[in-house]
Amino acid sequence: MKAIYLLYSLPIFVIAGLVVYFPTARRWVADFFTTRKLGVAGFALLMVGLYLAFFVAPEPVVGEGKKIFSQKIFYYHVPVAETSLIGFILGAVFGGLFLVKRERRYDFLSYASVEVGFLFGLLVEWTGVIWTRSEWGTWWEWEPRLTTYLILMLMYAGYFVLRSAMAEESSRARFAAVYSIIAAVSVPLTFFSIRLIPSVHPIVFTSSGAQMEPPMLAAFLISMFGMAIFSLALIRAHYSIQLMGEEVEYLKDRLGG
Amino acid sequence: MNLSQIWAIVKKDVVSELRTKEMVVSMFLFVMLAMVIFNYAFGAEKNDLTPYAGGLLWTAFLFMSMLGLNRSFVHEKDEGCLDGLLLSPVDRSTILLGKMLGNLIFLIIVQVLAVPVFAVFFIEVNFLGRLGQFILSILLSDIGISAVGTLLATISINSKMRDMLLPIIFLPVSIPLVIAAVISTSGALAGAGSPDELQQISSAMKFLVAYDIIFLLVAYALYDFVVGE
Repeated sequence: MKAIYLLYSLPIFVIAGLVVYFPTARRWVADFFTTRKLGVAGFALLMVGLYLAFFVAPEPVVGEGKKIFSQKIFYYHVPVAETSLIGFILGAVFGGLFLVKRERRYDFLSYASVEVGFLFGLLVEWTGVIWTRSEWGTWWEWEPRLTTYLILMLMYAGYFVLRSAMAEESSRARFAAVYSIIAAVSVPLTFFSIRLIPSVHPIVFTSSGAQMEPPMLAAFLISMFGMAIFSLALIRAHYSIQLMGEEVEYLKDRLGG
Repeated sequence: MNLSQIWAIVKKDVVSELRTKEMVVSMFLFVMLAMVIFNYAFGAEKNDLTPYAGGLLWTAFLFMSMLGLNRSFVHEKDEGCLDGLLLSPVDRSTILLGKMLGNLIFLIIVQVLAVPVFAVFFIEVNFLGRLGQFILSILLSDIGISAVGTLLATISINSKMRDMLLPIIFLPVSIPLVIAAVISTSGALAGAGSPDELQQISSAMKFLVAYDIIFLLVAYALYDFVVGE
């Protein structure tokens, strides 16, 4: 299943790479995939995914015919988690580009990606807590995945504190870019270190590809793509808001001067 | 990068510390006070805390290390010493390594003073046979703490919040390190009971090595962007 995640996240990285490295491709992609188009496409895919998840995909059966309805959250929870990781990785990539090229748009993009990643991370925590409650009867378990996300959320909360603590805009962009890279490096380390401790709980989402029936896989992948595209729309919207903010500042300066 | 330049920066920090003695003394007192608080927080007079000793040790050391990290840069910033360092003809990475080694030395000095007291207070088994493993796991964790800490302390000291920012950005990044450090230190103190535990301890040690290497490289690569423009 891990390989499948990677495989299906790959187009996003390829697109991001193209957008970043070739100016023509960048312009073409930016013109074609407008925020609205991305948002509508992502939303539509998410709705289709939701329909498939609830009305087409069968409920998994464990033991003696016991159906688990709470598994439905899987079609939402996992795409959200993957998307938030993509946000964090994009944040670091754009942060690195800012440090190399010193163009402010990369700072804007890095900020937008991290913020969207953080928002989706909060959703991961929220849906995870709901699932824990329905499955184990407690609101919080120190379960490896949820704990990892809790640490990541605390780490990226520091990113926003860091940004607001910087007085000058240039140093804010620089330090935020550095921290976004440190945090992204720390993401896999956190995942790995949590797993040093043997977990008391069995892995309940048995998410190996073989155990997913085709309708389930379809629902999952469509939600996954929908979520990724929707998050790109959010990143773009955030980015253009920052560009507009910059322009407003400039116009204010001109009027005042 | 030049060893004599690194040494000059380390020597500057050590000499100024020898004159004021404020950092090591306050860090040591902090650890002592933390131990007294642990005693009352966990009822050490009636409970055997040996299985939790690694966790207690690293709780104290982690917060103590932040004290030192902040202090080492507040001086530099307030007295304009950082600007002086930047104007001097050395690489940025030399400054990083110098400051890092300075922080590492102070950490180790405080730990050498504090660990025997800690052992007398909380450890009820003889761990002298595993002393090498214990020292190794502490040293590996110290390297990680000073690499990440020096990098992040330089960021935090340049912000409006100054030393308030360091805990918020340093603690989450160092959590993986702390997890591995607690496992390996606890293992060295209490001894491994089963092959599974031994396996866990050895993978924690490997993790510490990986963490140190990764963050030394990250700090080395990013320090150029962190100090001055």
